[in-house]
Amino acid sequence: MSQTLSLSQTTLDAVDRFRARKVSVEVEARPLSAELPTPTSFNPAARKAYYFYLMAPAIALLAFISLYPFFWLIVMAFQKGDMGAVEWVGFKNFTDLASDGRFLSGWVLLFKYSAMCLFLQVGIGVLLAVIVNGSRYEKFLVTALLMPMMMAPAVAGLLWLFLYNGTFGWYHWIFQSLGILETGSILSSAKTSMYALVLVDVWQWTPLITLIALAGLKRVPRDQMEANMVDGASPARNFFAIVMPNLYPVLLIAVLLRFMDNFRFIDHILVLTGGGPANSTKILPIYLFEVAFKFFDLGRGAAIALVLLVVTIILGKILVGVFDRPTSGGR
Amino acid sequence: MASRDVVHYDTPLQRVLRVLAVIFVVLYLIWTLLPFVIMFVSSFKDLLAAFKLPEVGDWMGIGVFFDFTPTYKHYATLFQENNFGRYIMNSLIAAGGSAVISVIFGSLAAYSLSRVDFRGKSDLFFWIISTRMAPVVAVMVPLFAIFRSLDLVGTLPGLILAYTTFNLPFAIWILKGFFDNVPYGIEEAQMVDGATRFQAFTSILPLVAPGIGAFIVLCVLFAWNDFLFAAIIGSGGAKTLPVATRELVQPQNIQWGAIMAAGVVTTAPMMLLGLVIRKYLVTGLTMGAVKE
Repeated sequence: MSQTLSLSQTTLDAVDRFRARKVSVEVEARPLSAELPTPTSFNPAARKAYYFYLMAPAIALLAFISLYPFFWLIVMAFQKGDMGAVEWVGFKNFTDLASDGRFLSGWVLLFKYSAMCLFLQVGIGVLLAVIVNGSRYEKFLVTALLMPMMMAPAVAGLLWLFLYNGTFGWYHWIFQSLGILETGSILSSAKTSMYALVLVDVWQWTPLITLIALAGLKRVPRDQMEANMVDGASPARNFFAIVMPNLYPVLLIAVLLRFMDNFRFIDHILVLTGGGPANSTKILPIYLFEVAFKFFDLGRGAAIALVLLVVTIILGKILVGVFDRPTSGGR
Repeated sequence: MASRDVVHYDTPLQRVLRVLAVIFVVLYLIWTLLPFVIMFVSSFKDLLAAFKLPEVGDWMGIGVFFDFTPTYKHYATLFQENNFGRYIMNSLIAAGGSAVISVIFGSLAAYSLSRVDFRGKSDLFFWIISTRMAPVVAVMVPLFAIFRSLDLVGTLPGLILAYTTFNLPFAIWILKGFFDNVPYGIEEAQMVDGATRFQAFTSILPLVAPGIGAFIVLCVLFAWNDFLFAAIIGSGGAKTLPVATRELVQPQNIQWGAIMAAGVVTTAPMMLLGLVIRKYLVTGLTMGAVKE
C-alpha cells in the first residue's frame, strides 16, 4: 500500500516537473511557443542537473561576455584614467555628469530624435500596412519594403551622405527643386541636420513597423468585423472599434523595440554627422562614443554607459512585461 | 471567408480613398527603392557622370541620370587596390563564426531551458534578453578594456566573441520558442526505443532544423551589418566590410564610386539572404514578439 502511494507520489512529481511554464498564445506572447499539451508521461524526468549541464556552456560564455564586463563597467565608473594607472575617484564621474551640458542635452536630443522617428514610422507604417493588407500585390510590395532593412546601417549612412551631398546629391536636388531647402546641404545646418537623420531612420525602419502591423492585422478576427458591419458600422468605425484594439499590443511592442534600437544603433549617425554640426545631433550614445573612444576617458564613459544601461534595463523590463501579458479580455 | 464573395460596391468617397491609397503606396515605393537604384547605377558610373545633376527645378532633366557609359573600374579598384577580398573573408569569418558558436551553445541552452523549470528561471531569462537589448556603445566600454588586456582587440577571435554578445542571447531566446513547440513525447518514444537522453535530444533536432537554419542566417545578418564593434574591437587586424567601406571616406578624397560599389558588395548578399529567410524575418527582428 505504502509502496503504491510513494510511487504515485514520484510520478506526480515527475509530471509536475514537466509542467511547462504557461505560455500565452496571444499575439503579444512569444508566438513560437504554443501552449504545450498537458504532459501524459509517467516516465521519471531527467534530473535537473542534466539540464544544467546542457545549459552551462552557454551560460558560462554569456557570463564571461556580459556579466563580467558589467562588473568591470561598475568598477570603471568609479575610476579615473586608463587601465594600468588608475585612480579611485568615488562618485566624481557621476556628479560631474550632473553638470555636464552635453550629457543632459544628449538625453533631450535622444528623446527628440526618437519621438520624431517613432511618430513618422508608426504613422506611415500603419497606414501602409492597412493599404497593403489583402492587396493583390501584397507579396511583391512586402518584398520591396524589406530591402532597406537588410542594408548595414553604416552603409545606409554612407549612401545617404552621397544623396544629401550639397553639390551632387540627388535628394539634395529633389529638396531644392521642391523648394524645401535653400542652399547648403541638409546636413550642414544645425537646424536641419536632425531631420536628415530622422529621414534615414524612417527610410530604413518604417518597413519593420509595416511588417509588424501587417502581422497584427492578419490576426484581427474577421467574424467580429462582419458582425460589426451587419450591425451597421461604417468602415471607419469598424477600424477603430475592432482593428485598432487588436493592433494596439503589436504596435506597443514595435514602438518599444524601435525606441530601444535608437539607443542601440548609432552607426548611420556616426557616419552622417558624427554628432555635428554644432552638436545638434549629438544624442547620448554618440556622446558616449566620443567620450570613450575618441577622448579615451573610459571612467567618464563608463559612468554614462551605466546610466544608459540602467535606463535600457528598465525599458526592457517593460517590454518583457508586454510580451508576457495575458489576454486583454473579450476574445 | 465567405464574405470575400459578397459583391461590394464602392461609394464615391471610397473610390477617392482607393486612388489616394495607390498614389501613397507608389510614392512610398519610389522613396524606398530610389536610393538603391541610385547606389547601384552610380557604382557603374564614372565620377564625372555620377556628379551630373539637372538644374534645380528642372524635373524634365532627370534623364541625365541614365546618361553614362557603364564602367567596372570601381569594382576593380575595390579588389585590386583596396584589398576587399580580404575584408569579405573577415566579414564572413566573424559573422559566420559567431553565428555558429551562438547557435550551437544557444540550442543546447534553449533546449534545456524549454524542458526544465526552476526557481529564478524568469530572472535568468530577463538577464539573457537584456544582454541582447543593451546599447552596443555601452557594452563596448568595458568589453574594450577587457579585450585590450587580453590582446583580443584587432583580432578575428575578439570580433567573433564581441558579436556573440548579441547573437548568443538572441539564439537562446528564439530557439527556446522552437523547442517549446516540440512535444516531450517524441523524446520519450526515442528513449523507449533505447536512445540515451542526449540521443533523444539530437533526434528532435531535425524538427527544429528549419528554424535553426533561419536563425543562423539572421545571426550572420546582424553580425555582417554591424559597424560599431567592428570599428572599435576589430580595428586594425580584423576590418570588416562596413568599416572598410567607411574608410573610403577620406577628408581630402572621398572615393564615391568605390563607396557605392562597396555598398553594393556589402548589401547584395544580405538582401538575397533576407529573401531566403523572409518567413522568419519579422519573428527574428522583433525578438520573437510578433509572428507572421
